[in-house]
Amino acid sequence: MAFLDKKSKQAFTDPLSVNNPITLQVLGICSALAVTVKMDTAVVMSLAVIAVLSISNTLIALLRNLIPGKVRIIVQLSIIASLVIITDQVLKAYMYDISKQLSVFVGLIITNCIVMGRAEAFAMQNTPGKSFLDGLGNGLGYGGILIVVSFFRELFGSGTLYGYQVIPDSFYEAGYENMGLMVLSPGAFVILGLIVWVHRISADIEEE
Amino acid sequence: MEHYISLATKAMFVENILLAYFLGMCSFLAISKRIDTSIGLGFAVVFVLTITAPANWAIHHYLLQEGALAWAGFPEVDLSFLNFIIFIAVIAAMVQLVEMILDRFSPTLYHNLGIFLPLIAVNCAILGGSLFLVEREYTLLESTIFGFGSGMGWFLAIVSMASIRHRLRYSNVPRKLRGLGITMLLTGLLSMAFMAFSGIDL
Amino acid sequence: MRSNTYTIVFTSIVTIVLGFLLAVAADALKERQELNVANDMKKNILLSLGFKPAADKIWSSEEIHSLFDKNINAIVLDAKGNKTDKDPKKIDTVKDIENLPIYIKKSGNKIGGYAIPIAGKGLWSTLYGYFAVEPDGRTVKGITFYKHGETPGLGAEVDKLWFQKNFIGKKFVDESDQLVGVKVVKGKVLSDDPKAIHKVDGISGATMTGKGLEVFLLDDLLKYEPFFKAIRGNS
Repeated sequence: MAFLDKKSKQAFTDPLSVNNPITLQVLGICSALAVTVKMDTAVVMSLAVIAVLSISNTLIALLRNLIPGKVRIIVQLSIIASLVIITDQVLKAYMYDISKQLSVFVGLIITNCIVMGRAEAFAMQNTPGKSFLDGLGNGLGYGGILIVVSFFRELFGSGTLYGYQVIPDSFYEAGYENMGLMVLSPGAFVILGLIVWVHRISADIEEE
Repeated sequence: MEHYISLATKAMFVENILLAYFLGMCSFLAISKRIDTSIGLGFAVVFVLTITAPANWAIHHYLLQEGALAWAGFPEVDLSFLNFIIFIAVIAAMVQLVEMILDRFSPTLYHNLGIFLPLIAVNCAILGGSLFLVEREYTLLESTIFGFGSGMGWFLAIVSMASIRHRLRYSNVPRKLRGLGITMLLTGLLSMAFMAFSGIDL
Repeated sequence: MRSNTYTIVFTSIVTIVLGFLLAVAADALKERQELNVANDMKKNILLSLGFKPAADKIWSSEEIHSLFDKNINAIVLDAKGNKTDKDPKKIDTVKDIENLPIYIKKSGNKIGGYAIPIAGKGLWSTLYGYFAVEPDGRTVKGITFYKHGETPGLGAEVDKLWFQKNFIGKKFVDESDQLVGVKVVKGKVLSDDPKAIHKVDGISGATMTGKGLEVFLLDDLLKYEPFFKAIRGNS
């Protein structure tokens, strides 16, 4: 990425590794864990978050010198909410089956702390270009975690990946059983906890 | 009557809005470090959910739903695409209103809840509650009870978590697991415990 | 600090622009969304009646359309099971108990089965689906669900194939042709159960969804009972 100066590059790559928004900043897991039972819903959800986050970051950065300080939050919120509505409408029109499964969780992107958090902490101080990269990076970092969680939940919970069976029938005949726990909510919490642990060992971070 | 009790228990225990639907995780993880603050935030969530659920129900039914504007002479209009933005605006306005009313009439309560109220406007559990009641087609009374039950469920979850974390200070947790990691694992265990309620049928 | 006028003008502009964009988006996509809903309904009627897309393929919306138009005859019955000439599209299947839409599968002059809409409370939400009956008026031909808000992995398993396959071939009337419905048991149906023909395997962890399903299925079958009784009498 030679055409980007060092700082922009950092804005993009940081959240992908050390500063992952979920594992480090504890942001935004609310709205999305519920759709990680299957990979296909998790992938679509990640795409929706990436789209909303990068566009909202860009728009807010464009308007950053115009937005009056007093109504800052509500203006950010309306921009984000409008983007989420458009995303929801597009999903309903073009990916009807998936949007039925995502149900209310697309709407909950509005209150996803990540989107508001990046708008307030980054886009209000930086140029649109950098903010776009920051949004993209954070979105990808976030989506990455979702997809990893859903990978394990689907593999162990249903024996499939992206809807295709990967655990051969002979395993089931030999007495292998799908882990019901993975499909239920505790599975998501446990996997996320383990991911955080692994990430912190590799990035050498501690919290008191 | 039984139907309503059963709805409330379901919302509180069986399908706890936090432990089964993961809603309100951000503030849950951030605030559950201390018991007293988590009780404060818990109460604020119960309060706001119980108010916003019926308020958003009314707005959805009399303004936004397809055909809802028939009383104003526009039976063809369908504004349900505005659900999200209006709900979040109503929640923010309600939180402000509650803040002002408390400040005026009950300064002590305001003092205790005060700092938590603004946090609540962006708590997913509140918006989630409103979106669920639309999807599940509740009536006004059901919505109120569902809002209250979900709030209580959230309250229970955060207070139990705060108590566990309080005890946890004496345990020897692996260094890199401390903080977020162990909290997630504990939430998993807590959520398993709550699933034990799922056989209850009133 | 900027003046209040600026704040008000700015927020109004933002509101108008966003409102305009949303209205345009909603309006532009509405037709497609409604088409999706209609297609989904037709698809589920077809699936419940045993139509299947070729292996590893998905129906396009045109295919659904033409299959439906060619093979399905949609009519409305009154409470006594007699045919009326109302339009099934205009019937609210949940609230209207006087008018009963029914979808009849026809190949030439032969009737291949009947599909009726079913709806009722599961654990959390209202489930909507179709229940198909063989031409003998006694045997289940299939069942599908197209809309529900049950918990993923638990109650939401109702829209999975393994659960729906369960129903095929079961009888919802006993030997003396009395309506008994189909029971959803907890766990698996025992093979030595004399009433196994009226029972299907439940979803583990979602007993309540199964219970709800059992109740509203019987209720809906009761509404159509005069019609199916007449059919059983003829065969």
